[in-house]
Amino acid sequence: MRALGGRAVQALLVALLVGTACFMMVRLLPGDMAYRIAASRYGYDLVDSAAADAVRQELGLDRPWLLQLGAWFADLAQLDLGVSLASGEAVLDLLSVQLGHTLLLSVVALAFSLLLGPPLGVLTGLRPGGWLDGGALALATALRAVPAFVIGIALMLVLAVEWDWLPVAGVGGWREVILPALTLALGLAAASSRVTRDAVAAVVASPYFAFARMKGLSDASAFRRHGLRNASIPVVAYLGLQLVTLIEGVVVVESLFAWPGIGHALVHAVLGRDIPMVQGTALLMGLLFVGLNAATDLACWALDPRRQGARA
Amino acid sequence: MSRKRLLGGALLAAVIAFALLGPLHGADPLRQNLSDTLLPPGGAYPLGTDHLGRDLLARLSAGARLSFGFALLAALAAAVPGILLGLVAALRGGVLERLLLGLADAVQALPGLLLVVLFTAFAPGEFLPLYLGLALSLWVEFFRIARNGAAAVMARPQVQAARLLGFGAGHILRRHLWPEVAPLAATLFAFAAGTAVTTIAALAFIGVGARPPVPEWGSMMTELLPYYAEAPLALLLPAILIFITVLGLHLLAGRERA
Amino acid sequence: MTAAILPRRAVLASAAGLPFLHRAAAAQPAADMFRVVTSQEINGLDPSRSGYVFARMQVVETLTCADDGGLPVPQLARAWTLSEDRLTWRFELRPAARFHDGTPVSAEAVAFCLERAQRQTGVLGNIPIESVAAEAGGIVIRTRRPFVSLTAFLAHYSTAILAPAAFEGEAVRAVIGSGPYKVARLLAPQRLETERSEHWDGPPPAFARASYLAAGRGETRAAMAEGGQAEMVAQLAPETVERLRRNPRLDIRVQPIPRTRLIKLNCGSPLFNDVRARRAISLALDRAGMAAALLRSPASAATQMFPASMAEWHVPSLPPLRRDLAEARRLLIALGWQPGPDGLLVRDGSPFSFTLRTFSDRPELPGLATAMQAQLREIGIDMKVAVVNSGEIPAGHRDGTLEAALMARNFSLVPDPLGTLLQDYGPQGGDWGAMNWSSPALAALLDELGATADAAERAALRGRASTILQDELPVIPVSWFDLATAVSKRVGGLTVDPLEISYRVAGAKWVG
Repeated sequence: MRALGGRAVQALLVALLVGTACFMMVRLLPGDMAYRIAASRYGYDLVDSAAADAVRQELGLDRPWLLQLGAWFADLAQLDLGVSLASGEAVLDLLSVQLGHTLLLSVVALAFSLLLGPPLGVLTGLRPGGWLDGGALALATALRAVPAFVIGIALMLVLAVEWDWLPVAGVGGWREVILPALTLALGLAAASSRVTRDAVAAVVASPYFAFARMKGLSDASAFRRHGLRNASIPVVAYLGLQLVTLIEGVVVVESLFAWPGIGHALVHAVLGRDIPMVQGTALLMGLLFVGLNAATDLACWALDPRRQGARA
Repeated sequence: MSRKRLLGGALLAAVIAFALLGPLHGADPLRQNLSDTLLPPGGAYPLGTDHLGRDLLARLSAGARLSFGFALLAALAAAVPGILLGLVAALRGGVLERLLLGLADAVQALPGLLLVVLFTAFAPGEFLPLYLGLALSLWVEFFRIARNGAAAVMARPQVQAARLLGFGAGHILRRHLWPEVAPLAATLFAFAAGTAVTTIAALAFIGVGARPPVPEWGSMMTELLPYYAEAPLALLLPAILIFITVLGLHLLAGRERA
Repeated sequence: MTAAILPRRAVLASAAGLPFLHRAAAAQPAADMFRVVTSQEINGLDPSRSGYVFARMQVVETLTCADDGGLPVPQLARAWTLSEDRLTWRFELRPAARFHDGTPVSAEAVAFCLERAQRQTGVLGNIPIESVAAEAGGIVIRTRRPFVSLTAFLAHYSTAILAPAAFEGEAVRAVIGSGPYKVARLLAPQRLETERSEHWDGPPPAFARASYLAAGRGETRAAMAEGGQAEMVAQLAPETVERLRRNPRLDIRVQPIPRTRLIKLNCGSPLFNDVRARRAISLALDRAGMAAALLRSPASAATQMFPASMAEWHVPSLPPLRRDLAEARRLLIALGWQPGPDGLLVRDGSPFSFTLRTFSDRPELPGLATAMQAQLREIGIDMKVAVVNSGEIPAGHRDGTLEAALMARNFSLVPDPLGTLLQDYGPQGGDWGAMNWSSPALAALLDELGATADAAERAALRGRASTILQDELPVIPVSWFDLATAVSKRVGGLTVDPLEISYRVAGAKWVG
């Protein structure tokens, strides 16, 4: 429970960081922000300096900056994220659609990485030092040295363009999510396979495992009964660390595959100086990160009986 | 030195050599020649040309100086304050330590790339925000490693005895803390530099980082992606270089990072 | 040690089967859906902002349309007449036309839309319209002066006619048009899905559904064409065209269209306010090199603003834009610029340095910008390139922060290029036209063009207008445009509209 409290604090910190950065951007970037906001509401053809002045009044852009900062955060607290400077639509509306896409991508990527990484880790952990272990180590090290966008380009060119197995980009049916999710999953799996391997090797070398075998259990059932749960704790805990990689990867992969999620929207907003959107997407990504972390905290807590006993 | 480390060192040395010896070739990485576009390696262009007729060898080498040099600088800018603050936090303890820990938590609330993107949104294409953003997102790990390592050392009987005997902070730092923290910091430095290389390339790829005509490996890949069928080598070379650099850094770091 | 948990042999065996999945999983087209992929995103519902998307997908209609040659043809207006004094137009509407919500297309609804379009200072704001009224079931438009090109203006997408139910006050709530397709799902800004409208009064389209996808990267569009992910891919990047031509399943159509890539300059800036500076920049560009190397089309190097395919506006006798570095340097020195130690020009302590904005929706633009950066560097000009969203250009025009921009201007948005010229080079300049520059002579010429119907006189006026633009260079033409479209060979009955008004999906059908 204390961990969840910590996560709540983290969420607050995210909001503060993003809000402050975007507030500063509004003031430091060239161009008249009031004009831009007016134009996004009414369209460029209808806007003139009178409309811009009206917006300036309404948003209080003339007041001392401390007051403005307070108002800025007050808006944020009420989830009033404003209007996109590019399309004139409410940021919250746009984000709610995009969030769904990003969640889908993240969940599928995590699922793929769990299908690829831990099983390989188990296999290699059972025979540490063998040829499979060495090969997997080389592969994992190589994959971690390649940035996500390079993996994405390679997969896109080979699987989608040359071999024509999968669609290239965009969102549609279940096929379109495979390439972006696989790109993310490969980087995640490279790391999680090694963590799993280490955890499994530790379990296999442990006294309780030896004891289970002495009792007469076959290796398979010994592992299933005693090893799996113990091995999975560090794996799940490491998943939390991997979420950083996931969120960062989402930004790049969504841009590459034209996946209309919040990562793609963030890049678009930065290029278009669409500050309300920058704030909205960065905030949402940060909160998503915190949320996923909280989920893994819960998973760890559920898996580990020691923790359950220790704290309330 | 283990074999892994040697391999890593060798790879890095190769990249550094490439970066430093590139100018000997004499070509200007920015010079365009629109009648010599997308040439394969050979003749006057040892690695071929890109879509604007610029010498790829010169551009990749300049990109090496840029990406690698920049990454090292950013990692250093993160390491120095991070380690210092970590050591100070462990030495002084108390309110200061808690304050710094809180600050570290605050910065880590956002994934590094997001932080850097937010910074570069202020001034897209400029290097200073990129540099600051990277340093800001990387210093936390140095801080934590330094602080945790130092805190463990501080609890040792020898150190407590030294304090009781009146040895100052400087002595404790030099004698006890630094030897413990240094190897950890070195490992982390290699990883941080690797992260910086990747981040710079990724940002350039999505268009938020380096602007044309700056020769940066990530933006080179963006520019050359449409020509992958005609000149696959031109697309492959920056990717390979990124890979070799980051791999070298990871191998050199030695112990695997969990 | 012991048997593994996962039977290794099973894993290896299944891996061996992977190659047999080759090509089995390629996207299968839905039998009744026509998929379009292009680069432009859907920025909102208002016709003035993104009407071109809905017009091209035949969801909305305008009073008139234009054929391939730019001559007006009926659309919502079945016929029209012009009074003797050429001041009063009367349009008769298609009697059976219905909006997608079932309501008939009434004269009142049309009048409301046209008046609204007029209030937005877009295309209609540039012509001397006195009044728009619904009279006796038809639309009567009165102009203050004779304006013969009105029918061309009424084909512009900003005059698209929407149902009364589509509006909430002044804002558009939903796109309820009168075309053969209606909106099924809108996932802005990337995707639009449409389906046949049951209220369409013409022959029903062969394809029951259509979709529009905005894919920003040129190689993504090319890859989607190759992978059969779309029946029509518009705006192919030039470097991908060769590769796509070799694909047996695709029909690649390339045609020159009335679109020019040009550099828009802020003529109010001290760097560009003297015409000699603008000429110097124009003289430094290597148009032939860029057309050959980047655009793969040497013939598209611009010698003047309007391409040869715009026969009436193209003036063969105009001295062509050329490259002459020595002359460029001479002009700049005459303006007081001196080369500094690093070769960059300096005047009164400040360098000749500016930022060019461009966007990657048209994939060739960033490459062209980078090429020009090097060319200008040769005469000592430091041009920085910023690849941003296309909306940054009108935004920068309006708030004055724009210094220069590289863009591709479509001169046939209104089928008569006069429409675009009025919008771009009128007394106020235009978002996609001149900035802080105007020419009373040009304005007078354009006004006269609107009034006369005499062919010889019009040709003379056009020639003079082209000449003024060539002399003054408020914008600098870089290259002309070839529209490259990939159409699946399984589709027949599809022609590519050189004016880019419509994708003509309603006329397409499966053949293969």
